[in-house]
Amino acid sequence: MTVKKIRLLLSLFLLFLLVGCYDKIELEQQSYAVALGVDQTDEKGVYRFTFQITNPEVGYSAGGGSADEPPNETVTTTGSDILTAMSTVNSFVSKRMTLDHTKVIVISEELARSGDFIQIIQSASRTTQIRRAVQIVVSKEKAADFLNNIKPKMEARTHKYFQYMITRAKQTGIIPDADIHRFFQITEGDADLFLAIYATNEKSEPKEDGNEDEFIAGEIPHEGGSETQFMGSAVFKEGKMIDVLDGQATRLSHVLDYTLDMDELLSTYPDPIKHEYRISADYIQKTAAEVKIDYQKNKKTKIDVTVPFQIEVLAIPSLVDYAQNIEYQEMLKQSIEEDLEKKADDLIKKTQEEYSSEPFYWSLFIRNEFKDVPAYEEADWNKKIYPNADITINFDLERLGFGKMLNDTNLSEVRD
Amino acid sequence: MKDYKTLTTRDMFALVTLLIGIKFADTTPALLAQKGQNGFWLIPIVSFIVVIPSFLLLIYLLKKYKDKNLVELLETILGTFSGKLLGLIIFLLAYSTLIFDSRNYVEQIKLLYYPQSPTLIIFGLFMLVAFFCAKRGFEVIGFTSWIGLPLIKFAVFLLALLVLREAVWNRIFPLFGSGLNIITMEGVKNSSIFMEFFLLTIAYTSFKDTKFFRRGSYLGSAFVVVEIVLFFLLYTIVFDYNSIGKIAFPFHEITQYINFGDYFTNIETFFMVFWLFGAFMRFIIFLYLITWIFGTVFNINEFEPLLLPFAFFTVMIGMLPENSIINEMVIRDVLLDVMTPLFVLFPFLLWFIALCKGDLKK
Repeated sequence: MTVKKIRLLLSLFLLFLLVGCYDKIELEQQSYAVALGVDQTDEKGVYRFTFQITNPEVGYSAGGGSADEPPNETVTTTGSDILTAMSTVNSFVSKRMTLDHTKVIVISEELARSGDFIQIIQSASRTTQIRRAVQIVVSKEKAADFLNNIKPKMEARTHKYFQYMITRAKQTGIIPDADIHRFFQITEGDADLFLAIYATNEKSEPKEDGNEDEFIAGEIPHEGGSETQFMGSAVFKEGKMIDVLDGQATRLSHVLDYTLDMDELLSTYPDPIKHEYRISADYIQKTAAEVKIDYQKNKKTKIDVTVPFQIEVLAIPSLVDYAQNIEYQEMLKQSIEEDLEKKADDLIKKTQEEYSSEPFYWSLFIRNEFKDVPAYEEADWNKKIYPNADITINFDLERLGFGKMLNDTNLSEVRD
Repeated sequence: MKDYKTLTTRDMFALVTLLIGIKFADTTPALLAQKGQNGFWLIPIVSFIVVIPSFLLLIYLLKKYKDKNLVELLETILGTFSGKLLGLIIFLLAYSTLIFDSRNYVEQIKLLYYPQSPTLIIFGLFMLVAFFCAKRGFEVIGFTSWIGLPLIKFAVFLLALLVLREAVWNRIFPLFGSGLNIITMEGVKNSSIFMEFFLLTIAYTSFKDTKFFRRGSYLGSAFVVVEIVLFFLLYTIVFDYNSIGKIAFPFHEITQYINFGDYFTNIETFFMVFWLFGAFMRFIIFLYLITWIFGTVFNINEFEPLLLPFAFFTVMIGMLPENSIINEMVIRDVLLDVMTPLFVLFPFLLWFIALCKGDLKK
């Protein structure tokens, strides 16, 4: 045999490589848990884990899978941590479960308030499967019930539902950006408060009198659409949930926190001339809030926050001529600024007195006063500095716009 | 050994960059962040300042004694016996670094991408690839480095760009992390993260002209230190000080975190390819260099057949530590501390002896 033939023969061995290695797994053999729910049980250290497994064949126009298959399957089991629960689940789920595509982790409010959540999430982040971009959602009811009752009407593919639902709600600022990455930073940093997304399927007494964002999930009066509401945020202090903020407070936290951004904020403000009406406007923030901290040891810290913003008026239901009357404009300007300042002051007062820390990530601004971590930790932002600080918030309206209409029709002229 | 020499500045630049530059993507940041907290990005600066005089001095000596590589230089200055002894010590330390570093990389690959595969198989395959490529000889290694460099750096640059969105600049404060004295101490102790500079001098005479070696090493080392510091800084501003010490593989943590908009999520495998390429290049170069040092110490001119046994022993010894945490946090830490004084001081020793012998006046 010539060398050539031997080489040819040897190259056949390369085919063996094609069968793959130990970690080869077919797509068909895996099932993807898109959402993960965690609930408390009566026993300490044992939790109920719910996995919502997506059916990848649903929503394909190309056909393929049978039409009657449901878009997802939700299973619940008990266990002491996520990974062992995942293997228990395999006694009634046919494929190997992976968390690679998990979008949200839902915890019940009950569990969040008990403070055990941090242990669960820490043991979960030890594996490489859970990504740091997974969003943390706190559900008012049990996480298992929450996941079982999510019935999106249009977006049948569960993973897309969560992705779009959360992305959109985040853009409007009514829910915070609450990924695991941020949770760890804030919780381990031990200075600020972490805001998680608050959601529910349970309808509580609808709050009919609230303005557009003064709700928490479950309170929004609506007809049609999915019953699931994402609104407001759960406040976590040191890994333990302590309160719920409504959509408005969550939006304000976005405004005051320069690490979060939001795309649009449509909101209404009281009409300064006809008090029974409200003016709706688009709040635009081009630059982040400026936080100035004047820190001196053994003295009361002074925090000055300036928020530059712009307003694009969208609707003036009272038909008062703000667009062309300079005097009225001044009044409107002032009234909007005052309205925002008042809301922000209320929120800050609440955080200082009730939480003794803040969800705005302001501890970042005091860190340059210290030269190393031990000094910074000794000064103790959330016990000594923040609760006693003098805080002034100044909203500064830079520009007032009125859309593409110069003026509204005078109703008395139309109806004569 | 080689009759034709083709390598120039750019190849040297690529060699330095690949051999050392990948350190921001392994467990080095985790090791340093344990001690330096959010000031840990300053540590490589201190280390570099400590290492650079010794390195420049060594280059200066090599330039003076024309056409000698590292071990030959040692023998000329210290005499055959002491020269060889010092060469052997350098070889042993470098080889242990190779062994435990490669185990470390294998653990990363296993943990992050191939959890079911046995460590031994991954380790075996990894070193097999390194061996085959190293067997091609130094010219090919240098050339491959130069070709691969743009690809690897492009991926890294893209990653840095994508993660910048998550960066919060105020996190660099308090500036000195766990304290200025701790940063300085760790910087000095861990200077050996740059010890590959010294190993590369074994290849001093293998370039088209020795000035290419010098030029490439200056450029390469400047680039590498900037790159490492920038990436460490990036980890600091992305992870913050309490989290950074808890993350074993910050580079991979970042690749898992980012995505290209809503459509391209879970893109870490894209970066894994380039990272793996970089890791292979590092160990190809490393394996070749230490075999070369061994060959020169024992006057073995045809040292390339030794690559296989060295690769084999790397796997065998590398399998000994029980788990990656012991390997990383105990063995590697001690090794770095032990190596530092040797590598920082021996060029000064050489210079002093050469000065006394009057060789430098020529």
